[in-house]
Amino acid sequence: MATATAQVSYLEAKKGILSWLFSVDHKRIGLLYLYSLITFFLVGVTLGLLMRYELLNPGKDLVEAKTYNQIFTLHGVIMIFLFIIPSIPAVFGNFFLPIMLGTDDVSFPRLNLLSWWVYIIGAVMALSTLVFGDGPADTGWTFYAPYSVKTGTNVSMSVLAAFILGFSSILTGLNFIVTIHRLRAPGMTFTKMPLFAWALYATSWIQLLATPIIGITLLMIVAERTLGVGLFDPSIGGDPILYQHLFWIYSHPAVYIMALPAFGIISELLPTFSRRTIFGYKAIAYSSLAIAFVGYFIWGHHMFTSGMSGTARFIFSMLTFLVAIPTAIKVFNWVATLYKGSIHVEPPLLYALAFIFQFMIGGFTGLILGALATDIHLHDTYFVVGHFHYVMFGGTGFAFFGALHYWYPKIWGRMYNKAVANIAFVIFFIGFNTLYFPMFISGLMGMPRRYYDYLPEFHVPNIVSTVGSWILAIGLLIMLGNLIVARFRGRKVTERDPWGGITLEWQTPTPPPVQNFDSLPELPLNGPYDYENKPQIKD
Amino acid sequence: MAQSHDQQHENHHEATHHAVPYSEHIRTLIALLFLTAITVVVSVFGAALATLSVFTALFIATVKVVVVAYYFMHLKYEKKIYSGLVILVGILFVALSVLTALEYLNR
Ligand code: HEM
Ligand SMILES: [Cu+2]
Repeated sequence: MATATAQVSYLEAKKGILSWLFSVDHKRIGLLYLYSLITFFLVGVTLGLLMRYELLNPGKDLVEAKTYNQIFTLHGVIMIFLFIIPSIPAVFGNFFLPIMLGTDDVSFPRLNLLSWWVYIIGAVMALSTLVFGDGPADTGWTFYAPYSVKTGTNVSMSVLAAFILGFSSILTGLNFIVTIHRLRAPGMTFTKMPLFAWALYATSWIQLLATPIIGITLLMIVAERTLGVGLFDPSIGGDPILYQHLFWIYSHPAVYIMALPAFGIISELLPTFSRRTIFGYKAIAYSSLAIAFVGYFIWGHHMFTSGMSGTARFIFSMLTFLVAIPTAIKVFNWVATLYKGSIHVEPPLLYALAFIFQFMIGGFTGLILGALATDIHLHDTYFVVGHFHYVMFGGTGFAFFGALHYWYPKIWGRMYNKAVANIAFVIFFIGFNTLYFPMFISGLMGMPRRYYDYLPEFHVPNIVSTVGSWILAIGLLIMLGNLIVARFRGRKVTERDPWGGITLEWQTPTPPPVQNFDSLPELPLNGPYDYENKPQIKD
Repeated sequence: MAQSHDQQHENHHEATHHAVPYSEHIRTLIALLFLTAITVVVSVFGAALATLSVFTALFIATVKVVVVAYYFMHLKYEKKIYSGLVILVGILFVALSVLTALEYLNR
């Protein structure tokens, strides 16, 4: 190994925009993903704020009914396919998985670059619906047939975009599975991998196995629209329920593509900031696999009111409850990790704690929706909107920003202003809960989702919610502003482990050299969170 | 480190690259052709056999998949864990079909 070149940080190794756009370095690809994801996230947030503004008062304020439908569809498509599905694996998985495994790159660096390009092509296609023809699809991000076959808006383009984005997801999953099987540092057995790697492993299998199903299904929509094959449209002999099956066979496992990596992040943050070995390593690791597996068999809970047979409804409701078991195992283990730990309250930990709080609310309301009887009442109300924002945004979104604050100094060799980060967190947290909690109430009162208007009796929770969206936006701007300023003006960080972490990424120079390590990484004796044998870090 | 990648690559080759005799490929080919022939024959008598012909066709297709995966795609020579993964995916596929059919047939 040439030590001279090994010392150059990946940020400085090559200059010029092309050296980034065509880089096969997993760290640079991770950052390409980060910048593009944040951009699309902000577009999605803007659409969300627009919707909330429209809902401030009953009646029409800002947009027509059809435009509102297009906005929530584009918001959903962007947030799901462009932000939350790639989020943690594509950014932090790409950047840190190889380093945490003690290797120099993923197994297929060029496929990795391809996956980013494919992602960008899909993103451009999705956003292009804004500017031509009849505008973005107005079907909801679920593209339910037969409406998606009949509407004049740009469904084909949106659907093809989602199809293309699926490939990007598959390529990332494939890459991680092979990397984890083949490139672990000598001595790092499966049960000595960091839990983030375990979470990515389980996620990758879902990406690889479930994504092709939505790919085919979306192509079937295009075929139905252009050729009138008669797959989903009952007027030409199709079965609309078949569409829902195919859609949710992917899209339910997909919620674990969103959630499992976040669980992995939390399992990294908690040991570092409580200076304790994670409680129940194996339970957490295997529960990821269990969630991935059981997650395949419960898609029917999205269809309880679609005219599904009683037998199937009963079975799907029962199976849905099963997922709560491995999920609860994780939560109990996290809390047990904190117990009697030496807790260091730093910005990333705040995000992790908010994750546990909000994900629990999301999870429990999920059980309420999974229970057949209650779901009949709550289906397609604002209760559902509250539930999935708590899981995806309050859960995975917060884990994403927690991870960003955690690995920030390692990625850029700079530290943000922690006081500002804490303030931003508090505003963000308050804004989030003010925005979404009222949705549970309006939902229980019976307010349906996906309408630009509502009855006057739902006014109060809607005012609260819209004010919450403004608070959240302020918190978000402060948080991102703080991070952007720190990129250029932040205190320089050169120590290898500013937080006292002991997984391998804290053994490399800050920021990491192109080859990731300047000397052979040293595996902790008893697994990746062996704080007992690292008394110098315990402080 | 770039080196170590290549090394791993080579080790990997030595470890798992079995020279498969041509005769095995030929036998695989013959088996597949034979199964295809049966599929054709069954479909010719399809009308008489009714639903049975669908099951037969599906069954033969499954056998073909197994032959291809096991011999042609070298599953035979891989570590047990890979066969396990393939079987797992098979189970998953069957379970998804059964659950969907369950809903459809009871509707
Ligand atoms: C400032 C942030 C956000 C605001 C104000 C916001 C607001 C909204 C609103 C008002 C709706 C429409 C509800 C309806 O009429 O049925 C909605 C739908 C949705 N949101 Fe958000 N949201 C935000 C962030 C997010 C994030 C971060 C995600 C995902 C990670 C997300 C995913 C979705 C999805 C999937 C839908 C459903 C779209 C559909 O019905 O087809 N949102 N959001
Ligand atoms: Cu689901």
